[in-house]
Amino acid sequence: MSLVLPGDAIPLPASSSLTLGPGLTASSSRSSSSLLSEPDESSAPRLAATKLGVLGSNSKGKEKGESMWVEGRSKRYIPAQKELVLGTIIARHAEGYRVDIGSSQMASLDALAFEGATKRSKPNLKVGTLVYARLSLANRDMEPEIECFDAATGKAEGFGELKGGLLLTVSLELCRQLLSPKHPLLQTLAGQFPFETAIGMNGRIWVKAGSVGETIALKRVIEAVNNGELGTSKTELDGAVKQMLA
Amino acid sequence: MSSSRLEILNDGGLRHDARRPYELRSTSFSLGTHPTADGSSTVTQGLTSVSVTVFGPREPKQRAGVTHDRASIVVEVGVALWAGTGAQRRTRGDKRLMEVGAAIRQTFEPVIMTQLYPRSEIFINVQVISADGGILPSSINATTLALIDAGISLLDYVTSVSIGLHLTQPLLDLSAPEENDLPTLVVASLPGSGKITLAQMETRLHVDRFEEMLLLGVEAG
Repeated sequence: MSLVLPGDAIPLPASSSLTLGPGLTASSSRSSSSLLSEPDESSAPRLAATKLGVLGSNSKGKEKGESMWVEGRSKRYIPAQKELVLGTIIARHAEGYRVDIGSSQMASLDALAFEGATKRSKPNLKVGTLVYARLSLANRDMEPEIECFDAATGKAEGFGELKGGLLLTVSLELCRQLLSPKHPLLQTLAGQFPFETAIGMNGRIWVKAGSVGETIALKRVIEAVNNGELGTSKTELDGAVKQMLA
Repeated sequence: MSSSRLEILNDGGLRHDARRPYELRSTSFSLGTHPTADGSSTVTQGLTSVSVTVFGPREPKQRAGVTHDRASIVVEVGVALWAGTGAQRRTRGDKRLMEVGAAIRQTFEPVIMTQLYPRSEIFINVQVISADGGILPSSINATTLALIDAGISLLDYVTSVSIGLHLTQPLLDLSAPEENDLPTLVVASLPGSGKITLAQMETRLHVDRFEEMLLLGVEAG
């Protein structure tokens, strides 16, 4: 666990193949222009960090490929393929919808990209609807495309329109943490009352509980955790939820 | 005008605010000051305080500036009405502020990895809250921190300082009275590689002195 700044050189690990995640770049060594240092003799590519954050690595074994990335804070979403996102429909065309997923470009959702949709039975979504979808195409040169069914099974699997509930905007890293099953926040909250939630990798979370008061309490607790005002220990969370429900 | 003229460097080797020639003003940085911006920072150097907010990468507001393979960087500089001496009118300040904005843009163009965000725009908004000399170096330092806070990929971070020359003695981190009197050089450099992304000067200076001041600026960064 080491904190890196943009421009920090990172030592190369010894594994044969290395996958670079976000926040790292490989550069062939260029001789620095400072008069004091000697020119670099090795021509091996060096790794450098491009973002501020903690260096994370996932090494599966000595021989297999290892992946490294920088875990940083940000609020702006950069689309990546196969990620699950929450989007708002902003426009409707004959063949599909335009969806705002919080990235620099709007995403397009095909009208037939739903479970069991044919030309005759397309779902009819209005502008302003919230959808939970999967990014089928995302590279930096083209506008992203999303679909509302799981490509492997062809079924809805929870994708599609989300009704009711409340949408929150949080930082990207909180969403990533919440998606890992070990994070205590959602389980602690579920101990208080049942609720339904959808977490998008684009920094958006949708929650829906039994009553309006419970939903608002969820929203405030999650936003407080996002701001860093609230820790994630059980006692603190329970106390905060009770306070907000009252 | 005033009875006692400020001495740039007195006999004891101290400047008008009791600093040594190579001493920098007290500096403070804070990140994440703006709740809705993607990245924000506030930098205070002495009495100069600059706040920068960064939005992006986002849809470009001007369709004309869209480049197909890179992000476009737009910089806007604003000076608060209560900053500075209070005697400046906006029309005279506008061109100067546009130059500051263009300088910041040129400084960061080689540093931000714009090829990762094609056809989008990175919008940098600089607000000078109080000006006591050294607006450009403080803005560059604050912009670096705001870009880091926004999570935009950078090749290295940029540090900047202003240098003036009084007779034969270079002075670092000039305040407003010194800036008005002395030839000033603003240097922005990358600490990791020692490369310089901006060297700007509006006054005249002897060329022998120039190299010495440039190296001093890189080292001070």
